[in-house]
Amino acid sequence: MSAAIDKLTGQAKSRDRFDYSAADIRPLQVEALNERFQQQRERIRLLGLRARDAGTAEISAIEDVVPLLLPHTAYKGYPESYLTGGKWDRLTNWLNTVSAYPVSPVDPSAINDIDDWIDQLVAMGHYVTCSSGTTGKSAMLIGSAKDIAWSQVDTVAVFSWGSGVVPEQNRLMVGTGVAAAAPRNIKIGEAQKAAFGNPEWPRWNYPVEPVTIGSMTRQILMRKKIADGSARPGEIAEFERVARERQAALDAAVGLTAEHMIANREKPFMIGGMWAGLYAIASAVRERGHGGDFNPDNCLYVGGGLKGAVLPPDYRDVVYQTFSIPAGRQFQMYSMQEINSGMPKCGDAGRYHVPPWLVPIVLDHGGDAAVPHGYRGEVEGRAGFVDISLDGRWGGVITGDKITLSYDRCPSCGNAGPSIEDSVARLKDIVGDDKITCAGTVDAYVRGVS
Amino acid sequence: MSRGEVVSAPFFYRGELVEGSDELHRSRDLGVAFSTPKIDYDKAVPSRLEVPPLLDVPLAEIIDFLAETGQRLAAPGNVHVQECFDRMAATHVLPRSMLQAVSQHAVSQLDKRVLLAEVEQNFPDPKALDGWVPKRDFHGRRSFVRAFAPRLVHVLPGNSPGVAVKSVAQGALVKAVNLFKMSSADPFFMVAILRTMADLDPAHPVVRSMSAVYWRGGDESVEGIFYRPQFFDKIVAWGGGDAISNVIRYLGPGLQLVSFDPKTSISMVGREAFASEASADRVAELTAADVMAMNQEACVASRFQFVEGGQDEVDRFAARLQHYIAARAAASGDLRPYDRDLKEEIEALLMTDDDYRGWGSTDGSGLVIRSAAPVDFHPVNKTANVVRVDSLDDAVRYVNVATQTVGFYPPARMPDYRDRLASAGAQRIVRIGESGPSTIGNPHDAMYTMHRFVHWMTHEDGAEPLALAAEY
Repeated sequence: MSAAIDKLTGQAKSRDRFDYSAADIRPLQVEALNERFQQQRERIRLLGLRARDAGTAEISAIEDVVPLLLPHTAYKGYPESYLTGGKWDRLTNWLNTVSAYPVSPVDPSAINDIDDWIDQLVAMGHYVTCSSGTTGKSAMLIGSAKDIAWSQVDTVAVFSWGSGVVPEQNRLMVGTGVAAAAPRNIKIGEAQKAAFGNPEWPRWNYPVEPVTIGSMTRQILMRKKIADGSARPGEIAEFERVARERQAALDAAVGLTAEHMIANREKPFMIGGMWAGLYAIASAVRERGHGGDFNPDNCLYVGGGLKGAVLPPDYRDVVYQTFSIPAGRQFQMYSMQEINSGMPKCGDAGRYHVPPWLVPIVLDHGGDAAVPHGYRGEVEGRAGFVDISLDGRWGGVITGDKITLSYDRCPSCGNAGPSIEDSVARLKDIVGDDKITCAGTVDAYVRGVS
Repeated sequence: MSRGEVVSAPFFYRGELVEGSDELHRSRDLGVAFSTPKIDYDKAVPSRLEVPPLLDVPLAEIIDFLAETGQRLAAPGNVHVQECFDRMAATHVLPRSMLQAVSQHAVSQLDKRVLLAEVEQNFPDPKALDGWVPKRDFHGRRSFVRAFAPRLVHVLPGNSPGVAVKSVAQGALVKAVNLFKMSSADPFFMVAILRTMADLDPAHPVVRSMSAVYWRGGDESVEGIFYRPQFFDKIVAWGGGDAISNVIRYLGPGLQLVSFDPKTSISMVGREAFASEASADRVAELTAADVMAMNQEACVASRFQFVEGGQDEVDRFAARLQHYIAARAAASGDLRPYDRDLKEEIEALLMTDDDYRGWGSTDGSGLVIRSAAPVDFHPVNKTANVVRVDSLDDAVRYVNVATQTVGFYPPARMPDYRDRLASAGAQRIVRIGESGPSTIGNPHDAMYTMHRFVHWMTHEDGAEPLALAAEY
């Protein structure tokens, strides 16, 4: 029973997939939502519990799915002590409450740290990725082999649509930021390389040790030890020494990357990274007397916003001009770890477009109710999504982002599907105020680990 | 008062009330808007060339004035206080009845005997507040010492109106020149207190020593002006995180920080509680009182309860604890929903396995979670985390520099633990159920606060004539 799902996900590579108006596609989406829900409620304990609490037996309208949207904290429900104490069997049990497929017990004797645990799961077809939370603990998101295959197709299709770049294996792939070595990120990188990279030219990997879930966990463990006072000064000194070494490698990586790019500047690049890193490398290129003398066919894949970095107002132009990125090749997209599909932007001044298998739901700030709309004009509020393509876990998420979604035709590219304004903001940055109280946690007493 | 309506928060400058709606702000948590006038910097900061107005007012007279203020604040017909609670009902997370009860309790501390005891505990010789106290050391050297009136800017917290009362009292007792920075959750109560004082006597030196304004915490355009040693000696600040890191940037020679740090409180329940069903029930009831201090918005409110016993005993205790927490929650009429992220994390945790068990629900009506180690999240909104331990010795390692109050049962075992708790960082050990009350004048946040506030000034008067002759 997945006819509606198949119809929607069958659009993955279709040229006009962003041209279906929300009003036209909604009945099919609701049908597909119900198909997914019926299939997953039995498999995923957390979803089953949530459905029972909400009294939901069937999804026949968008409103029915609102109580079933999960925030990223639902994937943080495991106790930190499972990671820090190496309780891999317990962690596996926990994962089974959010996984659509049963995760079989792991072999604890072969596990030294969480990276080993994740490798064992990959060998069994379960792909765990992490999103870092503000409190340090990561949300652990499980995906299936099907989800990885989908991501590999989606990442290429999304980039190609948003940048106009045809996948013809002719580019030098350039990484300009620290790589995340979670299985899903690795697979996505492989798919991009296979589609856009010249097989003769090795990918330029940013010369800094990639971040693994294990290295993030060590950070969390250290933070905890500092907080509870069990970290001795010598241990903190050693931790800071390693951090300084890493910072030195990070600093050096900017120059090394700039030099590698200058040396290969006649080749067409596909540059991937985030704004802060891109801007730093562009500045290093300029310091070395270059900029604007790169291949005019270059393209750029920017993931995410500024992430708190403070850059001069013309940072984008500096990056485009330095690396000779032509207009229209400045790919950006909106997405998050919790969903498995990207929303590409149509050009630098355009909007983020929502594909038909991704159902956008604009909620009130509390996230309790969908904001009414008549499939016309703009709606503003907290972003919720259901990614109908997701197979290994429930695809309904409630984010912490404030978005403005339009149901009108995009004024930039003319597509009829829903699109999101380039003004996505974190809700907590907006409603946050000077919150002072005498009650608080030991977090306020920890310095130097973030 | 409906949401969406803009309430007005006037400022107070040494007796003068200033209304205005030049600026619009939002309250923390509820997102309610309130308007204020622009800050008049020159009115808020008296010149150092003026001797503090309270300097030569005898302490006894200040205490009389504070006590009189207390009576006026408690009087049912006080329009300033009534208006203030009408407005606060819109900006605060706690119910009106609870805010009123907390403020009434604080006001009851504006009592002559209480105020005098506070001073006597803070200062070995309270006469140093009223004048220059003569000293003579064993070499015969003479001098005078005075606890001179300091210039204080108080950054008030938003969770408890009681702090406003205490801050006014302490600011007056040390004869300080005071500027109160109100919080967005409560930009009203301090002004209500000061207006009540001004009604008594608008020209009273206490009134002429007090100003109260609001700005958004961290606003550099305001803090960059005020936070200078030329204007203030000390910043008295509550909280942690951004609130404190904002302030720290301005510290330097001549401008010090007196900080009231963010705190977590806990309970420790020994196996003696399980001597009988009745005693277990009674201890659970007392523990619930500590958990529910100001509906768990206060720093004294217990969040983790370390209980010494077997799994079944501890589970029965957790169930009783939940019963009493829920009863208090229902009685207070406070049914705020859980923060969504916290609710999801707890529900996901409770699904995990037998390590975790929950009583109650995540709807804000009272929840107890039993676990083998403290949970990763901070229990708030009527949530208790019962941690089973074989021995209370095992609980000590969870005490840290953020631990404030430890509610303890049985009292007979408290001396066995107090040194270890202090060494780990805790500040108070109290009998279970008594997290609120403390002996009048006792230290707060591990210090004698007023002693820290004052500007200790010395007047060296040289050696005695005999020594003088020998020197020259």
